[in-house]
Amino acid sequence: MKKSFMLTAAAMAAVLLAGAAHAQDRSRAPRDAKSLIGAERAKDVPMPPGFKIMPSEIDGPVFADANGMTLYKWQLKALRNGSAGERKNEPACYDVKTTETAGLMSPYPPGLVLPELDTRPACTDVWKPVYAAANSKAIDKWTVLTRKDGTKQWAYDGFALYTSVLDRAPGEVAAAPKKARGDAPSYREAVKPPSDIPPGFEVTSTTRGRLLSTTSQQSVYFFDGDTATKTGCTGDCTQTWKPILAPSVGQTTEGWTIFERSPGVRQWAFRGKPLYINVLDREGRSQEGSDTPGWHNVYLQMSPPPPKAFTVQVTSSGEVLADAAGKTIYTYACADDSVDQLNCDHPSETQAYRFGMCGAGDPDRCLATFPYVLAGKDDQSLSQTWTVEWIDPKTGKFAEVNAPGALKVWAYRQRPVYTYAGDKRPGDINADGFGEFRGLRNGYKALWLRDDFYNGAGD
Amino acid sequence: MKHSLLASAAAAALLVAPAAKADDTAPPNRTIGYVVSGLYWAVYQTADGKAECPDGLNDGPREHFKALFPDNGTKRPVVDTQLKREAEGYFPTMTEEPFTFHLSQSKIAKGLNLDGKADDNDFVSPDGEKGIDNQLFRVLGCVRGYRAPDGDAYFFDNNTLITDRYDRWLFELTDVDSLVNDDDVTVTTYRGLDGLLKKADGNGMLAGGSQVIDVKWGGRYVAKIKGKIKDGVLTTEPTDVTFPWATFGVPTDREMRGMRMQVKVLPTGGTGLIAGYTDLENWYRQTLRSSSTHHQAYGQVSLPSVYRALRRAADGHPDPKTGENTTLSSALDVTLTQVHIIHPDRPVAQADEATKTAEAVKERAGARR
Repeated sequence: MKKSFMLTAAAMAAVLLAGAAHAQDRSRAPRDAKSLIGAERAKDVPMPPGFKIMPSEIDGPVFADANGMTLYKWQLKALRNGSAGERKNEPACYDVKTTETAGLMSPYPPGLVLPELDTRPACTDVWKPVYAAANSKAIDKWTVLTRKDGTKQWAYDGFALYTSVLDRAPGEVAAAPKKARGDAPSYREAVKPPSDIPPGFEVTSTTRGRLLSTTSQQSVYFFDGDTATKTGCTGDCTQTWKPILAPSVGQTTEGWTIFERSPGVRQWAFRGKPLYINVLDREGRSQEGSDTPGWHNVYLQMSPPPPKAFTVQVTSSGEVLADAAGKTIYTYACADDSVDQLNCDHPSETQAYRFGMCGAGDPDRCLATFPYVLAGKDDQSLSQTWTVEWIDPKTGKFAEVNAPGALKVWAYRQRPVYTYAGDKRPGDINADGFGEFRGLRNGYKALWLRDDFYNGAGD
Repeated sequence: MKHSLLASAAAAALLVAPAAKADDTAPPNRTIGYVVSGLYWAVYQTADGKAECPDGLNDGPREHFKALFPDNGTKRPVVDTQLKREAEGYFPTMTEEPFTFHLSQSKIAKGLNLDGKADDNDFVSPDGEKGIDNQLFRVLGCVRGYRAPDGDAYFFDNNTLITDRYDRWLFELTDVDSLVNDDDVTVTTYRGLDGLLKKADGNGMLAGGSQVIDVKWGGRYVAKIKGKIKDGVLTTEPTDVTFPWATFGVPTDREMRGMRMQVKVLPTGGTGLIAGYTDLENWYRQTLRSSSTHHQAYGQVSLPSVYRALRRAADGHPDPKTGENTTLSSALDVTLTQVHIIHPDRPVAQADEATKTAEAVKERAGARR
C-alpha cells in the first residue's frame, strides 16, 4: 500500500508559526526571519496497513503506528567496552528487569547495582514492541521478526520497531531527544521515511530546524536578491556562492523546481528560490554563510519557537539559547550503563543520576547549582517541544499543578531546562560538558542554536 | 586652520625623518603573524623519572576506584560508587583522602621567573637560571597523563589544538624593525578561524598559510601586548589573557594572569615558553569538562586528588578574604608557525567583551586580594 504524506492543517499552522517567529534576540534581528517557510515532506513509500507518516516538530516526518505514535529503533552502537543495542533481525528488548551495570563505559567495572530497583522498569515497560499479526506480510523495507517468545514484531530495514511510553500525543518524539554522537549512550531513535528531496541533498535536525545540505554536508543557501525566474547573483558573486546545478535528468517535485540561470545551466530551486553553497563555509552544515547580508540557510521546516522571554547569547563558539537574564539554557541527558541503556533524564524516570551529578546526591544542592528555568504564572505550553511542567524539586519528578512546593518550569522535549550558578555573564557556557563523558552520558549541554566549531546545534 | 597647519608640519617632519630603521630581518610591512601549532604544559623530565618522581607516578581513577571498592564479591550500588566518584570531581573538597599524592621533587623546572625573586619554593631552569616559578609543574610532574611522549593529556591536548579550529591562537607582531633586535614591538593576540597546513610527512606544520581573524566570536581572545626582541628572542610584558584551548569538543578557554612570552622567533616560526599564573578554578574545571574519567584513567589523572594538590601548591593572587592563593605559576612549551593573518573588513566583535573578560579576571583577582 502506498501512502502519501501531507501535513494536517493544524500541524501546518504550527510549523508556519515556528517559521515566522524564532528565538528572540534582543541585540539583533533574528537571522532566520527570512527562512523559506513551509513544512518538510516525505517521499511516498510503501507501508503495511496500520502505519502512517506523521509530521514532527523537530525531527521532520516520522513513521507512526495507527494511533500516530512515533516508531523507534535501537540500532547497535559500539561503546567503550562493548556494544549495546540491536542487530538487524535480533530484538534485544524484553520483559526482563536488569539489576546491574554492564560496564560498557570505562573506567568503572560492571556489576554495580542499579538505582531504585523496586520501581525500575523492564525494557518493554518503556519501549513497547510493535507487534505484528500472525498473517502480517512484509512489504518493501517492512518485515516481520519472531521474538524469543514466539510473538511477531514489525521491523523496518531489519530493525525491530517500538513505541515509547514517553510520547504523549501523535507525532511527538520525546523519547529520543539526545545527541547520539561519540560517547553518548546507545539511544533509541525515531524511524523516518526518506525526505522528499532530490538526489544530492540531505536534511538533518538542528535546534533551529531541519537544515538542508548537500550529501557532502555543505549547507544550502538562498539569496534575497533572487526570484524564481531571475537571479541577482552573477559574475563575481558566483565565485563565493556556487549555484547547485541540477542534472539534465533532474525531476521536479512539490516545492522543488529547476531554474535555468542561463541557457543549458540548470539550477535547483526550492520554494521559489535558487539554491547555492557557500565556498567559504569552513565546516559541514555551517551557518557561516548566513552572516552575509541577504543570504540564508535553507530549512525544510523550522523548530517551534522557545518562550518569548528567552534570549540568544553570543559565546566563544556560537549562539546559545538563554533565559531572560541572559543565562545560558542547559539540557540534561542521561542513559544508564545497563545492557538496556534505559533513559534516566525524564521526570518520570529515576533522578538518582542527575542528583548524583548536579548535587552529589543532594536535591537542594542541585537546585542551587542548576536552578530550573521558571515559567511565569500565565505561561502555558507552546508546542510539543516547549512545554510548561510542574516539578517537585525534592524528587525531580512531575508534580500536580499547584502542588505545595512544586515549581512551574519550562521544559524542552518534556525535560526541564536549567541555568547554571557558575555562569556569571551572558554568553558564559561553564556547564557545557558538565557530567560524565563531557555531559554526553549523564550531564549537561548548552542548548546551542549555532556552533561554528563543534556542530553543537546539530544531531 | 591651526589644526591643519599642525598636521602639515607633522607630515613634513615625517617626510624629513630618518628612513625606517628596519633591518634586513624585518618582516614585510614590519608585521609578521604566527599561529600556535604546539602547546604543552611544561613538564621537566629526566630519562627514568626518578629524579623528579622518586616515589613513582601517581595512581589514577581506575586504581583509586579499585582501592576504595575492592573486587571481593560485595554488591555495591552505582550511586554510592561510580556516581559518588564522579561527583567528587565536580564538587571537590580538601578533606583527606586515603591516597598519597606525589608532587614533583625536581629541583629543575622549565618556566620563567614570574615574581622577580628566587626563594626556596622556586626551581632552577635547565639552563641554570634561578627563581623559576612553576608550581603547576610541581603538581603535574608525577602525573603520567602530562608527561611526554605518551601521556593522554600531553597528547590529546596538543592534538586537538592542531585539529580543532576552536583552538586557533594567533600572535601578530607589528612595528617590527628587526626579528633579531628590536626594543619595541607590539604583539596582538587573536583567535584564527582556519586549519593548519601540515607537512607532507605529518611532522610539524608548514609556514606560509593564512589565518582569518575570528571577528564574530573571538573578541575575548584579543589582547595587545608590548614586547621586545633581543638576540632573536621575543619577550613580552605581563598581560592577563584568555586563550582558546578546548579538548574533545567542549568549547573551553584558559585564563592566565600576567602571561608573558619568551620565544625564539624566526621568519618561519618560533619555539619557547609562555608563562604566567594559571587560574586554579579555571584550569581545574576546564580539564574536568574537556576530558572524561575514561580519558583521565588512561593518563592516571585523578582530578579530585589533583584538585587538592593544586590548592596546596597555589602561589599567586591570594583571596583577600581567606588569604588562600587562587592561581599557580605555570609555563607552556609553545611552538609557533608563521602565517599570514588576514584582517576582515569589519572589526572584531565583542571587542568590549575582551575588555570585560580581562576586567572580570581582574575583578576576581581584586576580590581575592
